[in-house]
Amino acid sequence: MGAHVSVPMYQRSVGQRYRLLGQRCRGCGRVNFPPAGACMYCGSRDGFDEAQLSGRGKIYTFTEIAPGGAPPEFARQAALTGSYIVAIVELAEGPRVVAQLVDCTFSDLQVGKEVMMVVRRIYVEEGVVRYGYKFRLA
Amino acid sequence: MGAGQTPYGDHPTLGIKEMFNAALGDAMQSVDRGVDPREIQAAYVGTLGSGGFQIGQPGALVAGYAGLPPIPVYHLENACASGGFALLAGVTAILSGLYDLVLVAGMEKMTDLSSAAAKYWLGVSGDTEFERLAGLTFAGLFALTAQRYMLDYGMPRETLSRVAVKNHRNGALNPKAHLRRAISLERALAGPPVAHPLNVFDCCPISDGAAVVLLASEERARSLTDAPVFLRGFGSGSDHLALHSRDSVTSLRASRKAAEDAYRMAGVGPGDVAFAEVHDCFTIAEIVAYEDLGFAQPGQGWRLIEEGATTAEGRLPVNLSGGLKAKGHPLGATGVGQAYEVFNQLRGEAQAPERQVRRGGLALTHNIGGIGGTAVVCIYEGGEGW
Repeated sequence: MGAHVSVPMYQRSVGQRYRLLGQRCRGCGRVNFPPAGACMYCGSRDGFDEAQLSGRGKIYTFTEIAPGGAPPEFARQAALTGSYIVAIVELAEGPRVVAQLVDCTFSDLQVGKEVMMVVRRIYVEEGVVRYGYKFRLA
Repeated sequence: MGAGQTPYGDHPTLGIKEMFNAALGDAMQSVDRGVDPREIQAAYVGTLGSGGFQIGQPGALVAGYAGLPPIPVYHLENACASGGFALLAGVTAILSGLYDLVLVAGMEKMTDLSSAAAKYWLGVSGDTEFERLAGLTFAGLFALTAQRYMLDYGMPRETLSRVAVKNHRNGALNPKAHLRRAISLERALAGPPVAHPLNVFDCCPISDGAAVVLLASEERARSLTDAPVFLRGFGSGSDHLALHSRDSVTSLRASRKAAEDAYRMAGVGPGDVAFAEVHDCFTIAEIVAYEDLGFAQPGQGWRLIEEGATTAEGRLPVNLSGGLKAKGHPLGATGVGQAYEVFNQLRGEAQAPERQVRRGGLALTHNIGGIGGTAVVCIYEGGEGW
């Protein structure tokens, strides 16, 4: 039993998961990620233009998930690696995203360190491997 | 004018029907001049439906078991704030004038589930598409809050554990609490890690339980009891479901909005609150709540713990029941169970004299869904002479 994100639902968000596609508000010009119906900054519903994020950002806050704190679909990952790191990353264009940090150890990390997006395996559901963004130290 | 609660804990022989029925019986018994259940005009039931065995129409299931049909039954779901929102639905129905006596219930059956299934259900109320797929449950989300809070405001790690020590000490005195034992600071600091910096002792347990309150118009309440408890103000709010879509990760806008509205309606401020039950699903949540409720300035909430201001003997006791941390957190039951605690305290009927609050002043309850996607705040006053 794990978080249920059907293949069609996942497919609708591959632009975000593989390429960090955001949207630029036609009202205030700021970049939203993930896409929303109203701008998260100014509330405008006047529409958006596609915006490609750079994948660069800084650690805003982070934690290390122990096996006891992992949801069931990540239990195997936690068991294999002992723990994994999750951070909120503030992207260079403004929005924040939550993602795992890879290829680093907890003691390497501090708030403000620069990170870069990578595509990695997220989990498996319905027999389909799901890929998406994670981050590594820049 | 009435309130009841099952003990929270591990109840292998009780399902949601039996727990609801027991809490209803307890609530009816608390009505001083007695009430016929057939006089109840509507029921508002808060539950997430953990386990998924009755996702649709759980209200009808439990009300039917307790002999309440054919009254209307509403099911309200806002995760851990389901009970709080059920309460507000009942309150607004009374205030509308449509009804003068309604039942509000909260309930959750969690211990039937395997550890993996329980973690699944504990995570379904967060943002599934993005947060959950980063490998987070609510422990992880509150850990992200705690980590940033410590950095921004200089709070030592030990302060989190002092919240757990305080609430366990209170819970040890509450006969209806799940974890009825005090713990030392050393033990609280040494728990197995869950999500850095949070360990097991920073997290509420997985509990079964149900709570019921009976709400009436003032006139109706006075016909049924000489010691009603009055709801003086209430408020509620919401926020982006995903924590990363919010301006701040160390303050909950939904809580601030709920508190502002509740204080305004009651015509009071944080300084008028004599004691409070706040949503401490994780230790950091209680500290953030102090600030969102106006008990402390932003960044200063942790100092209330260091000063001992919110212990049972302090100037503003918080979570005398043991809070979610020690009383337990049967998701949907929590918001209603907080009202049960306040009802007893404001009538001088806390089960043990050593946990009875001093007379005078107002009570506040604070109930959030998940990490503040939704929130409810209520302000209560005791009857004449309190």
